[in-house]
Amino acid sequence: MAFDWSQYRCAGLHDEMFSAPDVPRPSARALLAYLRSMSPKELADRRLAADLAIKVMGITFTVYSEGKNVDRAWPFDLLPRVISKTEWERTERGLKQRVNALNQFIQDLYGDQKIIKDKIVPAEVLADSVNFRPQCVGVKPKFGVWAHICGSDLVRDGDGTLYVLEDNLRVPSGVSYMLENRAVTKRVWPEIFETTTILPVDDYPAQLYDTLAALSPRPGDTPNVVLLTPGIYNSAYFEHAYLAQQMGIELVEGSDLFVDSDDCVYMRTIYGPKRVDVIYRRIDDLFIDPEAFRPDSILGCKGLMRAWIKGKVGLANAPGAGVADDKVIYAFVPQMIKYYLGEDAILPNVPSYLCMDEKQRKYVLANLDKLVVKPANESGGYGMLIGPRASAEERAKFRELIKQNPRNYMAQPTLSLSTGPTITDDGIEPRHLDLRPFILSRGESTYVTTGGLTRVALVKGSLVVNSSQGGGSKDTWVVDLDEDAELPAASKSQSQSQAQSAAQLGDKGVG
Amino acid sequence: MLSRVAENLYWFGRYLQRAENTARLINVNANLMLDLPRRMTLGWGTLIEIVGSTPRFQSLYEQATEENVVRYLMTDERNPASIRSSLHTAREILRTVRDTMPRETWERVNDVYFYVLERGDTSLARAPRQAFLQQAVSGTLLVYGVLTSNMSRDVGFQFLRIGTNIEQADMTTRILDVRTYSLLGVQPGADLSPFESIQWMSVLRSLTAYQMYRRHVRMRVNGPGVLRFLLQNREFPRSVMFCLTTIASTLPALPGNRKIERAIERTRALVRDANLDVQFTAEGQLPQLMDEIQIGLGELHNALAETYFSSGT
Repeated sequence: MAFDWSQYRCAGLHDEMFSAPDVPRPSARALLAYLRSMSPKELADRRLAADLAIKVMGITFTVYSEGKNVDRAWPFDLLPRVISKTEWERTERGLKQRVNALNQFIQDLYGDQKIIKDKIVPAEVLADSVNFRPQCVGVKPKFGVWAHICGSDLVRDGDGTLYVLEDNLRVPSGVSYMLENRAVTKRVWPEIFETTTILPVDDYPAQLYDTLAALSPRPGDTPNVVLLTPGIYNSAYFEHAYLAQQMGIELVEGSDLFVDSDDCVYMRTIYGPKRVDVIYRRIDDLFIDPEAFRPDSILGCKGLMRAWIKGKVGLANAPGAGVADDKVIYAFVPQMIKYYLGEDAILPNVPSYLCMDEKQRKYVLANLDKLVVKPANESGGYGMLIGPRASAEERAKFRELIKQNPRNYMAQPTLSLSTGPTITDDGIEPRHLDLRPFILSRGESTYVTTGGLTRVALVKGSLVVNSSQGGGSKDTWVVDLDEDAELPAASKSQSQSQAQSAAQLGDKGVG
Repeated sequence: MLSRVAENLYWFGRYLQRAENTARLINVNANLMLDLPRRMTLGWGTLIEIVGSTPRFQSLYEQATEENVVRYLMTDERNPASIRSSLHTAREILRTVRDTMPRETWERVNDVYFYVLERGDTSLARAPRQAFLQQAVSGTLLVYGVLTSNMSRDVGFQFLRIGTNIEQADMTTRILDVRTYSLLGVQPGADLSPFESIQWMSVLRSLTAYQMYRRHVRMRVNGPGVLRFLLQNREFPRSVMFCLTTIASTLPALPGNRKIERAIERTRALVRDANLDVQFTAEGQLPQLMDEIQIGLGELHNALAETYFSSGT
């Protein structure tokens, strides 16, 4: 007996697969026809196979729990999230535009600060930014690019609008899971790929390598590119090892590197010191160089900033790029796009209220029960207040926090995040999700992943998608409907008849 | 190749080999126990001596019973050389050097590690144990299979080979040391000759050498013959000579290694020049030879560490 999709309760929600209960969106039609033919037993078997594959493939993430590092299997939901190619093309344009403006903004802040002189962004925003690095003032990295790798979080509201929720410009993570999710789906469910033309995602490591190699201070030679990890206890270590492997570059730790008297960076090898040209660093600014930043850091490499400023090594992302990764600065991105590019933002921001502004603060304090309040510089979903779900006590606590440090807080209306069908212990149910595409900037060109990482809140009704807090993930498909339309007639009619018989089965289920 | 990575690959090879050898050791000992008369005292404690873990074992267990020894060697997390701990360490190391090895290596290591983790505690009793240990051995062999078939013969591969071979040479000498000692210690006059030959056979079996011995030596299994085969044979992959020669063969691919060459040469000469017929009968000479080989392996390790693992600046 097949799962009865007419019982899938998505009324009143914006669902990524259904435009109305039992009415699939065009991009998901073929997929759903196939899914209709599957019994809950078959789905459960595939789910087990996926769990096993994840274990065998060793796809994990690390969480701190009771003072110990626990390596957990990556939580994955088998039902893919589908996006049409048409919608994706527009999104891709919007992301490129946005990251372009953000890079110009960062260069401006560490240079002439025109945007502040022109009073587009208030001076106090910059003065109080914890991620502004005075050490970077006057530096002009190659191509003027600071955030070579950006992970922007996109969410869809109940009315279907796709908003940018935040931009991660420091050390965004998650791309390895995007790639692994696809690998798992291919491995345990190859038949599902026959339903639709799905654009591949596998190009990312090669694109990332090109982005990094372009930063070499010694063009011409094959550059020595390395990935600098804080080590095995970092929650994203899996990703660091994965990407290094995919790109065929060395995975190094701070203790493997040193900066010599010629200001060049070297790594310790069995052949003796070897010059390093580009470092993809996955360590936060403050820890990369005890000479320039936190003197107690043992993760980084002494003298790295010196080497970077003198142009002897490429660093991605550039130190200081995080200044634009501030949730208050976020609110000014549409103005930045206008200011630097003379264009209107293609992708809208979520309406934001800045607590530093008196009027807006009053509104926030009066409407705490309706808003989501975020600290300016936290990531991973920590330190947030989700107003409608919070207790009176929590709201009172945030009221005080905001009054004490208004610059550090901003608020947004609680969005009714879109949902996608997710396999749960009680059958298939809608769960809220978001999307994190990754954008690579190389100056002359910009690359956006095909889709990105879809994160899903596995807890019923929850809006928190972070894997450290009970979130899972889905394979993300960008599907090309035009391509499908051009399939040879024979295979098309076959899939149509399959869809029809599956639909009839579904009807019987209702009756 | 980063010095840190070279060192990790070396230890990965050692721990994987250790897990495999320990699994065989337990299985062979169990078979031997079935063949020996009850009055023979040779028991499970020997295995603890072989792995050189007597003080730690005694601090954790009162008696060297079959149950205690098997638990200690198979699944005890407090024993850093138990099968479970060895695989755990190998897996943790592999995590840091995954990028240097074919992806399947990681998958196969996970297979065998999770198998041991999940099934170990319920496989301690005699009946399920044999199948469990065989599965553990097969699991590690699959890892070698992936490495030999799919890994480029780059310097990383050479460090793996050095690690596995030094570990094997170490284990072979340990087994010979402890086993020959207990065999030689048999009281004169006690008529144990049929069992003596069984025991020499079990020494061969713990190193999967029985069949190859029969094929190549073509004489009945006896002490000097077994010693010669496991120390000096140039064709059997678990003999000390074979391991040392393999390590020597990796050196042309590695930079500046005069010191390592010398350490290997010294130990090889020691093994090659041993007159085992004489040493087998002369009191105290055999244990001394094994000690000297062990010291030679220790020097080799130190030379590797000095040359590659802490170099670079």
